[in-house]
Amino acid sequence: MRKKTRTVGKYEVGRTIGQGTFAKVKFARNSVSGESVALKVLPKATILKHRMVDQIKREISIMKIVRHPNIVRLHEVLESRTKIYIILEFISGGELFDKIVHCGRLPENECRRYFQQLIDAVAHCHSKGVYHRDLKPENLLLDSYGDLKVSDFGLSALLQQGVGLLHTTCGTPNYVAPEVLSNQGYDGAAADIWSCGVILFFIMAGYLPFYEIDIPTLYKKISAGQFSSPFWFSPEANSLIKKILDPNPKTRIQIEGIKKHPWFKKNYLPVKPSEEEVNLDDVRAVFDDIEDQYVSEQSVAKEGGPLMMNAFEMITLSQGLNLSSLFDRQQDYVKRQTRFVSRKPPRDIISSVEAVAESMGLKVHTRNYKTRLERISANKVGEFAVVLEVFEVAPSLFMADVRKASGDTLEYHKFYKNFCTKLENIIWKPTEDVANPSVLRSLTC
Amino acid sequence: MGCFCLKKLGHKPGYEAPINLASETPFTVNEVEALYDLFKKLSSSIIDDGLIHKEEFQLALFKNSNKQNLFADRIFDLFDIKHNGVIEFGEFVRSLSVFHPNAPEADKIAFLFRLYDLRQTGCIEAEELKEMVTALLCENNMSLSEDVVDLIVEKTMMEADTKRDGKIDDEEWKEFVKKNPSIIKIMTLSDLKELTLAFPSFVMNSGVSDLQQPVKN
Repeated sequence: MRKKTRTVGKYEVGRTIGQGTFAKVKFARNSVSGESVALKVLPKATILKHRMVDQIKREISIMKIVRHPNIVRLHEVLESRTKIYIILEFISGGELFDKIVHCGRLPENECRRYFQQLIDAVAHCHSKGVYHRDLKPENLLLDSYGDLKVSDFGLSALLQQGVGLLHTTCGTPNYVAPEVLSNQGYDGAAADIWSCGVILFFIMAGYLPFYEIDIPTLYKKISAGQFSSPFWFSPEANSLIKKILDPNPKTRIQIEGIKKHPWFKKNYLPVKPSEEEVNLDDVRAVFDDIEDQYVSEQSVAKEGGPLMMNAFEMITLSQGLNLSSLFDRQQDYVKRQTRFVSRKPPRDIISSVEAVAESMGLKVHTRNYKTRLERISANKVGEFAVVLEVFEVAPSLFMADVRKASGDTLEYHKFYKNFCTKLENIIWKPTEDVANPSVLRSLTC
Repeated sequence: MGCFCLKKLGHKPGYEAPINLASETPFTVNEVEALYDLFKKLSSSIIDDGLIHKEEFQLALFKNSNKQNLFADRIFDLFDIKHNGVIEFGEFVRSLSVFHPNAPEADKIAFLFRLYDLRQTGCIEAEELKEMVTALLCENNMSLSEDVVDLIVEKTMMEADTKRDGKIDDEEWKEFVKKNPSIIKIMTLSDLKELTLAFPSFVMNSGVSDLQQPVKN
C-alpha cells in the first residue's frame, strides 16, 4: 500500500476527474473484473469536522437503495483509516445536455426513448420515497449503449458542495417548478415531474420552454406555465407536455398518468429494476465506526430535511438591519422572541414543540418542518395562531423561526414566554451567560 | 393652524421642504411630514440639533446608544449620503424611500448590495460575507467554530458566486436575490405605508391641508 501502486481494495486508482470542497473524484479500475469505476474520496476528518456524518450516510444509503438500470449505480463504500471511498458506476457517454448543445434537437422517437427511461428511473425513486429535486439534462448521462443514466439521486447535498460533474449552467432556474420558485413547501414528486417535462421539451425543441434573459420575466413565465411549442412537436407530444408543465402541482399529471399517455406508451418497454437485496452493511460499517469517535449524534432517518438558510438569509436576522424598530412608537421593549437555535436533530425539535404545544392546549399541525400552533376558544377571546419553522443553518445547527400568524399580540407574548421555558432542553444556549434569561431575548430580531 | 406652528418653530439646518422631498420619492407630502415627526424624535433623543448622530441611530435600533453593530453602521453610512457623519432630514427621507413597499425592487437589491459590499470594492467578497456572518453570530451570542462559519459561507458562495472567482458581483447578486427573495424582505418596511396613521401627530403640524385627515387622537 505504498505510493507506487495506488490501490484502494481491489481498485487501481487513476487520474483525478473532478474535485470539490469535500471530495475528489478519481477514475479507477476494478482489478478483478476490469470494470471502470468512478471513485469518490472523502477525507474522514473533513466529514467529522463539518458534522456531515449523518447527512452523508443518509445520502449514500439512498443511492444504494435506488438501484435502477437508468440510475448511476453505487457499487460499494470502502474506508481506510483516514478516508471514505464511494465506488460509483463510471459512465462514459457524457451528458445528454452536451449532446443537444452539439447536435441540436433530437428526433421525436429518440426523445421518447430517453423520456421513457427518465420516467422509469424517477418513478422508481419516487416509489422509494426519494426525490431528486435537481433534475436537468446535465444530470442525465449517457452510457456507452446510449442508455440514459440519472446521476446524483440522493446526493444533492453533496453535489452542492461542488462534487462530481462540473456544471456550467449552475444556478439557472429554468428547470425549476413554479411551486419551488415561490419558496413554499412543495411536493418533491410533482416538482420532479415538472423538471422531466422541461427536459422533454428541451431535447425535442433544442431550446428551453422557459428562457428569458431577465429573471423576473422568466419567473413570471414559469409561474404562469407560459410557453409555446414549436411546430414540429406532434399533437400527442404536445398534449403530454402541456399536462406536465401545468403550473398547478395539484392538477399536474402524475407518473401514472404519464405512463398511460398514448405518446409515452408508444414502443415502451418498461425496465424491471432488479429486486436484489440491497445490503447497507458496508455503509453502516463505515459510518457507525466514525460515529463512535463522535459524541452520539442521532441520525435523522427521514429523507429530506429542513430548508437550508443561507448566509445572507442569516444576516438579515440582524437587529441592525431591522429598521422597523425606528417606527416603534411604544416604549415597550418586550420584543417578540422570534427565534431560537438548537443543536438537536430537527425531528426532535419538531416533536418537542408539538408535545409542549399540546400540553398547553394548542391545536398542532405539522407539515415537514413547519408547525402551526393554534389556540382556539369558544368565545374567540385570546385566540391566536403561531407558525414555527425549522431551518438548517449549518450541519447539525438549526434555527427555529417563530412568528405570530394571527390573533392577539399580548396573548401571543404571554404564550411565547411560557413556551420557551418549557422548551429549554432543546434550545441551544450560548456558552456563557446561561443563567441569564435575557440571553434568550437577544436571540431575537 | 399647523403652518403657523412650523414657521414659528423654525427649522433646523438640513431641513428640506416636504413638498420637494415628496416629488422625488414615493411618499406623499403628508407622509414626508409624518417622517419629519419621526425624524425630530430620533434626532433629538440625545442632542437636539436636527441631525441624527450615530449614537441616536443606535439608540433607536437597539434602545442602547453604545451598541456597536456592523450592520447598523453600514446602514448609517449609506443613509449619510454626504458622508459628514450625521443623517440630515433629506438624507433620511431619500434613503427610507428605498424601503417603501412601492419602491422599485431593483433599487432595493442595489441598496442591499452596497450595504454588504463592506469595503466598497464593487463586489461582495467571501471575506466580507464571513465577516458579516461572524458579526451576526456574535450579535446573537452564538459562538460557532470558524470551520462551521467557513462552511456556511462556502455553501452560500457556491450558490451565489456562479463565476467562481471568490466574490459576488452585481450581476451574480441580482440572480441570487431572485432565487432567494427572502433576502430583500428587510428592504421593505410596511410601516412606511401607514405613516400618517402611525404618526397622527403630524396632523397638528401639517403645513399642507388635506381634505381627509385621519381623525385619530
